[in-house]
Amino acid sequence: MAELDVRKPLPAITSEAKAFWDAAAQQQLTIQRCQDCRAWVWTPRPSCNECGSQKVEWTPMSGKGEVYSFTVIRQVVGRAASKAFEPDIPYVIAWVDLDEGPRLITNIVGCPVEDVKLGMKVTVQFDKASEKIWLPKFKPA
Amino acid sequence: MELSYGPDESGHSMSITNKSAIVGIGDTPTDRLGSKPGEPRKSSAEYLAWAMHLALDDAGLSLKDFQGQGLGVTIPTAYPQPFWPEEVSEILGITPGFLLGGATGGAGAVSLIGGMSAAINSGLIDLALVVGAAAPFSEHWGGGIQPGDMRDWEIPYGTMGPNSKIAMVMRRHMHEYGTTLDHLGKIAVTARYHASLNPLGYLRTPMTIDDYKNSRLVADPVRLFDCVMPANGGKAYILASPERAKSLRKQPVWVKGFGERSNPSYGPRAGSDALVMGVKDAGRVAMEMAGVKHKDINFLQLYDDYVIVVYLQVEDLGFCQKGDLKFFENTDFTFKGQLPIQTGGGIINCGQPSTAGGVHHILEGVRQLRGEGGDRQVPNAKIGLISGLGVLPYGKNLGCCAVAILGNEV
Repeated sequence: MAELDVRKPLPAITSEAKAFWDAAAQQQLTIQRCQDCRAWVWTPRPSCNECGSQKVEWTPMSGKGEVYSFTVIRQVVGRAASKAFEPDIPYVIAWVDLDEGPRLITNIVGCPVEDVKLGMKVTVQFDKASEKIWLPKFKPA
Repeated sequence: MELSYGPDESGHSMSITNKSAIVGIGDTPTDRLGSKPGEPRKSSAEYLAWAMHLALDDAGLSLKDFQGQGLGVTIPTAYPQPFWPEEVSEILGITPGFLLGGATGGAGAVSLIGGMSAAINSGLIDLALVVGAAAPFSEHWGGGIQPGDMRDWEIPYGTMGPNSKIAMVMRRHMHEYGTTLDHLGKIAVTARYHASLNPLGYLRTPMTIDDYKNSRLVADPVRLFDCVMPANGGKAYILASPERAKSLRKQPVWVKGFGERSNPSYGPRAGSDALVMGVKDAGRVAMEMAGVKHKDINFLQLYDDYVIVVYLQVEDLGFCQKGDLKFFENTDFTFKGQLPIQTGGGIINCGQPSTAGGVHHILEGVRQLRGEGGDRQVPNAKIGLISGLGVLPYGKNLGCCAVAILGNEV
């Protein structure tokens, strides 16, 4: 597990997302699921954004999925904080569709960028970004 | 599950058809401060006033006509000042009776056609000025990271703005349908050709498919000539009630239909089809309101933050089936062709002053419907479709989509 550069922007641990980060620190990917309509709710929301139910519960996921699409970052642009990612170039930003349904923005790691393909099977790993933040990333399954 | 709801399906007859008209337009030259010799250094305030005065002159109206009337202001993406529309009122010297901010990003300019037409139709006002400007090359606003999905779920992975997400949309479309750079390049080349015929174009040198294919890779597979071009500039239009419109200088361009979809999802919200855009429903609603079919529409002015987004809109507005490559191969999209698009060059070639870029497509539509299209005039243009788009949310295609149908006959 790579130690990330501390200058990289970190997510805020908002109250609706705290359970996610607590589980991630335990190497478990969890997503909210509506107990009424059974919809997956992602990113974290205070209630179900399909049916409005307030019965949403954090649910352990398999951590398996496939690459829906991706891009390769070969240069940093925009805000100053982007510079923190320069040492990682080239790296892959991907949309990964979990086997259970939800789509995540993430990085594909653990293989050369040239090997990443649409439809590729991947599995989660957690990279420590701070004491409380472990970012879910994906590697070839 | 497909979201399908709205006034069109509720059984009510809701319409703003022919209840207001665009009676004045103002379009400043755009610049990129030093990219061409002699470019001016102007502020947002100067572009706002410039665009407004051009529109007032075009309509034959004066500032005093707008006191107590409607003022709409597009809200720039990089401007953190929440009271910007009020400040614009002060900059311009207007005390509006009805002030609206365009809060749907690049769709704001088209959204404000809906909001202001509704206000005129309801009798709140009988005139409205809509104005937008930005000067990203001469003003530097703070770029702090604001709360939300982008801060918490995107930037920590090293995403580089909207290019990263649209690259994933473009790659997925190529994967699912076999779309090639030749298909996309045809759109880019057509828009540049039109810009070469537009005195207000910025990139006016015609280009070839090879120029497009050989342009620098920005976010694989997105290339430089896939991307919109930020610029300084200001744009404005004036809407009037039918009674006011008939007594003004220029031929009225009537609002025939309007539709909007914000936060659309095609499939579950947590994993929607990222290749379908909300213009699918916004366009259907607008066309039904206007009572027009695809064959009645003489041109499309489509919001163009990227070439792939123009392509997707042609599909999702229903001019062809999703993935119908032959349609793109066989259709002439120039102003002389079967389906003219981007007849002014779009903001990819004319420049995007932040969200005010969305006004470009409206102004070009008005010119075509007035017969002021010059060397790029669409023959016998009577009905045009204008779109606005804003925001690239976390896991989906564009988050704000608005469509207006304009026409030159009641």
